[in-house]
Amino acid sequence: MDFGFSEQQGEVQALARQILSEQVTPEKLASFDEFKAERFDRDLWRQLAEAGLLGVAMDETYGGMGFGFTELALFVEELGRSIAPVPAIPSLVSAALPIQRFGTTKQKEQWLPGVANGSTLLTAALLEPGGEKPENPVRTTVTVEGDNYRLSGVKTCVPFARSADRILLAARYEVGVIVVLLDPAAAGVSIQEMQYTTFEPQYEVRLDEVLVAAADVLAEPAEGAEVMAWLTERTTAALCAHQLGVSDQSMRMTASYTSERKQFGVAIATFQAVGHRAANCFIDVECLRLNVYQAVSLLDSESEATTEVQIAKVWAGDVGHRVSYASQHLHGGTGIDRDYPLWRFCLWARHNELMLGGSARQLADLGQRIAAGEAYCS
Amino acid sequence: MKVEFTPQQIELREQLRAYFGKLMTPELSAECARDMGEGGGPLWRDALRQMGRDGWIGLGWPEELGGKGMSPIEQFIFVEEIMRAGYPFPFLTTESVGPQLAEHGNDWQKSELVPKILNGDLLISIGYSEAGAGTDLAALTTTAVKDGDEWVINGQKMWTSLAHFCDYTWLAVRTDPDAPKKHQGISLFLVPNDAPGWSCSPVNTLGGVRTNTTYYDNIRVSDKHLVGELNGGWKLITGQLNRERLSLVNVGPTSALFNKVVDWARETELASGGTVINQPWVQMNLARVRTGIEALKLVCYKQAWAMTEGTLNMADASAAKVYGSEFFIEAYRLLGEILGQASLVKSESESGQVLSGRLERLYRTASIITFGGGTNEIQRDIISAAGLWMPRASR
Repeated sequence: MDFGFSEQQGEVQALARQILSEQVTPEKLASFDEFKAERFDRDLWRQLAEAGLLGVAMDETYGGMGFGFTELALFVEELGRSIAPVPAIPSLVSAALPIQRFGTTKQKEQWLPGVANGSTLLTAALLEPGGEKPENPVRTTVTVEGDNYRLSGVKTCVPFARSADRILLAARYEVGVIVVLLDPAAAGVSIQEMQYTTFEPQYEVRLDEVLVAAADVLAEPAEGAEVMAWLTERTTAALCAHQLGVSDQSMRMTASYTSERKQFGVAIATFQAVGHRAANCFIDVECLRLNVYQAVSLLDSESEATTEVQIAKVWAGDVGHRVSYASQHLHGGTGIDRDYPLWRFCLWARHNELMLGGSARQLADLGQRIAAGEAYCS
Repeated sequence: MKVEFTPQQIELREQLRAYFGKLMTPELSAECARDMGEGGGPLWRDALRQMGRDGWIGLGWPEELGGKGMSPIEQFIFVEEIMRAGYPFPFLTTESVGPQLAEHGNDWQKSELVPKILNGDLLISIGYSEAGAGTDLAALTTTAVKDGDEWVINGQKMWTSLAHFCDYTWLAVRTDPDAPKKHQGISLFLVPNDAPGWSCSPVNTLGGVRTNTTYYDNIRVSDKHLVGELNGGWKLITGQLNRERLSLVNVGPTSALFNKVVDWARETELASGGTVINQPWVQMNLARVRTGIEALKLVCYKQAWAMTEGTLNMADASAAKVYGSEFFIEAYRLLGEILGQASLVKSESESGQVLSGRLERLYRTASIITFGGGTNEIQRDIISAAGLWMPRASR
């Protein structure tokens, strides 16, 4: 049991925090509000690449730093703290990690160096309308045609689908699930814009008899579901890490604000009703932090972590919700004023809460596993 | 960062689980149930001495003090396992007062009392609260007045739990009534519970647990009974309370209870068909409890780790206490709902009790720890000030 950060972990955190605190300014964030521009700060992305952070968990062979999932999650936590407008989770976690873990040498050589240096953007299509289990696609199907595959169906809430070089995507085969790296420019792909609450560019992606070459298959039907489960657990843990950054920052902004804001001649933080609500946030954020770090740590060592990831996601949902609204409440009208930065944290807390399953769904899944005897306390 | 037990720690846990499985004989379990989970009976004392002789109590203590030199994490694994086994472990003595004595005690306290604690031969009750001094502990009025070479102690303490079978009371008294700030005039004494002038009367509680009012009537003790510096008691009190808070929210018993309720729900058939656990709301309650236990486990082990690093901070200790105490109440409710009305049948019943009637007692005893060990309101004050640097109102 070691809850401390190694030297390299501390350096990753400090480096990310330094770049993000300098670059993610309120003006920059405001330039993407209400879809004024694609919410992607490409200058920042380039700087993060130059600092090595986009390849933090990538093998050195492909231009990465060669660290693990823990370092990547700590980077994502910092992105949450600053709500930086960059596609880190879809590209680095949901797509690049499984390519590195399950891809062919050719696929790794083709995609990973570009991800690390910032020139390639990947994303993943994890959701279908009415189907929120990425390892179990229903509305997207595949047929075999010689050496190639033909895909038809629909995916929803796909981030950066229009600007990505490849979309990682799962489709149902007769038996099993295949995972492909889809070219969004391929014939038969139609992409429609969705206006999503965080202003992140998201799209509905429709596939009409789209031809995918064997070289772009990441997992054959026998392994596809397992690959999707693997990347879903890591994406879930990354969302939790992002939520940790979002919640921690909201809470700290609230502590500062209430220490400055005066009513009845004193700082409102001196009222117990205010202090105690902030203290509840502190306890919540600490519980979230520890559960996130446990899940991340287990995933980093490729240990069984299904229970721990589910539990972390319940905390991410509950804590994100509670801290977001406590922060808004304690800020009074200031929190909802779009000239003050807190309101954007409210958007991302909600996104992180619901993406890949809110608390009720996670609890229901965990409850089923408890009933099956799979989640006793050790 | 590696939030996993080492293979050695997992092995230690299994070793301890087997050890306590043997130690908790049916006779000892029955005696502990009779004593309302407080201990104090003859078999309980024998078992404590056995643990001491086998070297377990001082597992995480330095070797020069008679311990085994392992870290606070191993010590916490030990306490978790013993409490999980259902043994009422006197953690106030071993985990909170003991370490304070080892750190701040005089030669007699270090060389005679501390080894006895590690051998399971010495038990200490805690005398802080008074009728007019609870949350505002520094308002206490029990006094120690120097008379020649001796101190004369007079006063009355409330909620002196376990005092009726302990050897000493760790007693907070006023030694300087003129100190500029009231907490600067307080000292700590170890008063023998068999000293002439010492007496106690029982207070019976909602949970069935006995606590005590204790009386100190011209008790005379020498300087060697003073702990630490004269008028330096406040630091000892807060240090003891920080350690106590961690022990109060030990995750072991709740983990064990959760597993038992899961087993029961998987095995028990509903009159209408199917098993209890097939019901979605039962799975939901279990998942909620499981989620809460995981956080409590991590909160506790993070503190044990912080103690190995020497970085235990007040906000974290208070957060653990608030979270743990409020979670226990919620967990007993959620688990009680699953057992239904059967969870209200007492352990002494001729029939009809489930899981030895544990939940019937737990919901009654649970209210204690949201105010015991420092009220949760004060803990939240500490958290907002020490954890978030928010200013607090002067009191």
